[in-house]
Amino acid sequence: MVNSDLLPKYWYNIIPDLPKPLPPPRDPPDAEISRIELLKKILPKEVLRQQFTIERFIKIPEEVRDRYEVIGRPTPLMRAKRLEEYLGTPAKIYFKYEGATPTGSHKINTAIPQAYFASEEGISHVVTETGAGQWGTAVALAASMYDLASTIFMVKVSYEQKPMRKTIMELYGGEVYASPTDLTEFGRKVLKENPNHPGSLGVAMSEAIEYALDHNYRYLVGSVLDVVLLHQSVIGMETIAQLDELGEEPDTLIGCVGGGSNFGGFVYPFIGAKKGKKFIAVGAAEIPKFSTGRYEYDYPDTAGLLPLVKMITLGKDYVPPSIYAGGLRYHGIAPTLSLLVKEKIIEWREYMEEQIYEAAKIFMKTQGIVPAPESAHAIRAVIEEALIAKKNNEKRVIVFNLSGHGLLDLGNYDSIRKRVGK
Amino acid sequence: MKRMLVTYMTLGYPNLETFYQFVEKSVELGTDILEIGLPPKYAKYDGPVIRKSYKAVTSWLKDYISPLKEVRKRVSVPIVILTYLEDYLPNLDSFLTTLHEIGIDGILFPDLLIDYIDDYETYVSRIKEKGVKAVLFTGPSLPDNLIVAVSKISDLFLYYGVRPTTGVPIPVSVDSLIVRVRNLVQNKLVVGFGLNDFNDMRKALSAGADGVAIGTAFIEEIEKNGLQSALQFVKTLRGILDEYS
Repeated sequence: MVNSDLLPKYWYNIIPDLPKPLPPPRDPPDAEISRIELLKKILPKEVLRQQFTIERFIKIPEEVRDRYEVIGRPTPLMRAKRLEEYLGTPAKIYFKYEGATPTGSHKINTAIPQAYFASEEGISHVVTETGAGQWGTAVALAASMYDLASTIFMVKVSYEQKPMRKTIMELYGGEVYASPTDLTEFGRKVLKENPNHPGSLGVAMSEAIEYALDHNYRYLVGSVLDVVLLHQSVIGMETIAQLDELGEEPDTLIGCVGGGSNFGGFVYPFIGAKKGKKFIAVGAAEIPKFSTGRYEYDYPDTAGLLPLVKMITLGKDYVPPSIYAGGLRYHGIAPTLSLLVKEKIIEWREYMEEQIYEAAKIFMKTQGIVPAPESAHAIRAVIEEALIAKKNNEKRVIVFNLSGHGLLDLGNYDSIRKRVGK
Repeated sequence: MKRMLVTYMTLGYPNLETFYQFVEKSVELGTDILEIGLPPKYAKYDGPVIRKSYKAVTSWLKDYISPLKEVRKRVSVPIVILTYLEDYLPNLDSFLTTLHEIGIDGILFPDLLIDYIDDYETYVSRIKEKGVKAVLFTGPSLPDNLIVAVSKISDLFLYYGVRPTTGVPIPVSVDSLIVRVRNLVQNKLVVGFGLNDFNDMRKALSAGADGVAIGTAFIEEIEKNGLQSALQFVKTLRGILDEYS
C-alpha cells in the first residue's frame, strides 16, 4: 500500500510566480472566426475555466483524487542506488517513477480530470491525438473510468511502429485511427499533398480537434496548454512531500520535454516552493527546438484551429523526423516553459538518439527499468550531471522524472539497436 | 465608496452623431470615466465585437482629433484613450502631446505590459511627462509581484481584464480571480473584459472590485437595438453598481 496522505489536495499553477507576464493567447489578425471563442466548443467547460482562472493553488476534486488513488498515486520516488554506484558519483540520484501507473506514463494525471470534467458536463464522447501512444492510452483508460467513448488519432509512424499501443487503447475501449486519415478535411488535405506523410503530433491534433468540432464531442489536450501543466503538478507536489519525508533537499531537477507537461508538472512546484538550484529540460537534438526554435506567437496545432500562443517553436508546419521517441515529435514548447527558458531560469540540453540509447542501456542494466525513450533523454542529462558532481566531488541531490516505462517501445529499441549496431 | 462605471466606446461608432449622443448621455446617466477606443492596426487583445467596430469606423474615420475635441467639449468626466502602443512607437511623444492639448486625461495601452514589458517603466514615465495619465492594463496572466508594482503607478485606476480577450464569454471564475489580486492592488481596481453578465459583475463587486469597465455589451446593444437601448443599459449598470456603494 502506498501512503495516500502524500497525495496532494491541490494542483499548483506557476503563472502567478513567473518572473514576467505570460503573453495571453491571441486571435490572428483579420480572423474571420475567433479561435478563442471556438475553444468553448473544443474543450470541456471546466477545463477551459481552469485554463483561464489563474490561481496559485487549485483544489483537486475528491472524485479525481479517488481515481488518482485507483491508478496508484502517489507514484514511488525511488533512489537510483546502483546507477550512483555504476557512475561512482558522490551525488544522490532519485527518480519519480511515473511508469508505475497502469498506462505506464504520467499522461493519465491530466486525462483523469479532463475526462471527469467532460462527464460532469454531460459529454458522452471524447477525442484526442497521440504520438508515441502514451497519451492516447491514458485518454482511453480515463474515458472508460467515467463511461465515455473515446476516439484517438494516432500519428501514423507510431501506429506502424507500435501496434501494441493500439491494442491497449482498444482494450480500454478506444477507437484508434492512423493519422493522417481521410476522416477529416485536414487529413484529406495532408494526404493529397503527400500520400506517404508520416504524420506528426501537430497534424493528428488538428484532425482530432476538427473531428470533435464536427461531432460536437470534446477534445482532450495532452500537453502544452497551461491547464495540462496544472494537472501534472501532482507529480511535483508529491515529490516535494516524498523528499520532505526522507529529509532530502533537492539541488538539481531534470525532465524531458515533448510539449512540456511532464517537465512542468514535475519541476514547477519546486520553483514555486523555492526548492532546487538547477532545472534542466531535455529535448531531442533531431528536433532542435531549444537550440534553433524562435520565441514567437504560433499555432499549437498544424491546422491553426487553436488560438496563437507565444512559445519557442519550429513553426506549425515543421514535420519532425521519425525518431524513436515519438512523444518528442512536436514543434513547440509550452508557453510557461518557453518563458522560463528565455528567462534562463530553466536550462536545456539536446541529445542525439545514440546518446539516449547509451543512457537507456545503462539505466536498464543498473536499475532494471526499461525507460520510455522520451524519459531516457532525462537519464542522459542525469548521468552527465552525476559525472560533473563526481569530478567536483559534490554531494548533490539530483532528482528526475522518469515519465514512463518503455515496455511498449521494445520495437523502437530493436530498430535503434540495428541502426547503431550494438 | 461609490463604485465606478467605466464606459467604453469605439471612436465614431456606429456614426459620429450616435457616438456623441451615446457618450454624452451615458455620462448623464452615471458613467464615471469614459474610455474611447482608437482603432489600431492589429487589435491583438480585443474580441470579435470590438474588432468589428474598429473595422466599421476605419473606412471613413480619417481624423481622430476633431471628434475627440467634440467629446471633450460635451463631457467633463475623465476621458481615457484605449489604443495599442505598437502603432505609436515612432511618434509617441507627439501623439501624447496632441492628446494632452485636446484635454484627454489618460491613455491605456493593452499591449504595454505584454509586448513591452522590459521597458514599461520608461513608457509610463514618458506618458506622465507629457501630462497624460497612464492607466495600466493587467490580467490574470500577470505574476503577483508585477501586479503589486504596477498597481502603485497606475493613474486613475488599475484595469484588470478577467478574460483573455474582450467580449468572449470564456468561462472563468471572476470571484476567484478578483480575490487573488484584491490584496495585491493598492489602487482602485476596475474589472473588465467580457464582463457583460450581471452575475459576473455582482461577483466582481462582491469580491472587492471598485468598478467595472463595459464595452462590448454597449456596442452589441447599439448594433442590435439602437442607441436608446444602449443608454438604458448604462442606467441598469449604474443601478447595480449603486447597490454596492
